[in-house]
Amino acid sequence: MTRDERIRTIRTAFTEATPLVLAVATYGLSYGVLATQAGFNRAETVGMSLFVFSGTIQMVAVAMIMTGASIASIFVTSILLNLRNLLYGAALSSGLGTNRKLRWLLAPGISDEPFVLATAYFKKNGPSPLYYSVLTLMFYSAWVISSLIGALAGNQINPQTWGLDLTFPVTFIALLVPSLKGRPALATALAAVGIAFGIELLFPGNDFTIIITGAVAPFVGLFLARRKAHA
Amino acid sequence: MLKNWLLIGILAVSTYFSRLAGLEFMANRKTGPMLALYFTYVPVAIIAALLVKQIFVPVHGELTISFPILIGCLFAGLSMHFLKRFLPSIIIGMVLGLAARYLLLS
Repeated sequence: MTRDERIRTIRTAFTEATPLVLAVATYGLSYGVLATQAGFNRAETVGMSLFVFSGTIQMVAVAMIMTGASIASIFVTSILLNLRNLLYGAALSSGLGTNRKLRWLLAPGISDEPFVLATAYFKKNGPSPLYYSVLTLMFYSAWVISSLIGALAGNQINPQTWGLDLTFPVTFIALLVPSLKGRPALATALAAVGIAFGIELLFPGNDFTIIITGAVAPFVGLFLARRKAHA
Repeated sequence: MLKNWLLIGILAVSTYFSRLAGLEFMANRKTGPMLALYFTYVPVAIIAALLVKQIFVPVHGELTISFPILIGCLFAGLSMHFLKRFLPSIIIGMVLGLAARYLLLS
């Protein structure tokens, strides 16, 4: 790869990722504030972003801590949430080149937004570890810095007054709606609402609602998708 | 404090290895279409369950509905569906949820 090609790749990654990086930073800011409100100190709040680097896992963990969940139930829920990383990694592997050490170094960058950008880029331009490195660096630094800013502001903000307790559900619904394309996805969401509500009605505030719903409800979507394929 | 660092450590290790496992092992295997399809619905199910847990809150052992959160979610969801823009939808949901809270309290 020539110097000009490298510069072009870096510029493309920067241009394509910037809007999503800004959105992720907003999310990181909310995480920082809410983690502080959930009882994390600043070092723990930023430490989680440095070492875990996963918006969904971190937000869910903080939300579950707020509801009094145990470490074990948070861990099991995180395993379910991380299942999709297996698919992301499998799909991205060929685009990250043959250098094993580099793949291990870039592995923390595997998440929703870089996956979407990188698969589109690899499809058009072929494998590019450089493109993915730039993406990972941008998302990682934005996430850590915005978490820190959120953590610094956290103690001075009453979440109820500013409506920050609404951030979780409102962000989740904004993430959920675009994925409700087609009857199987819609049916999965409705089944999940029914299952989760049923469990909560019988055992209010228990630790296993999310785990059970996350494991069972996808079978409804799977069933409908298969029926549609065989129709 | 130690409990929080323990949680961070556990989540860091499990999340990193879930990412690495996909890169290193699953890439050399053929993933069945059924399993792939199942994984695509897992996030939908988990996010929906989280929403239920935040809208329906247990108070003294009974479920109560949080109307500000319900209203915020309703409008954020509608906004996301029609406008298809992430940040404006979040702002709309939060502003209307907050307005509902003040109207219900006053």
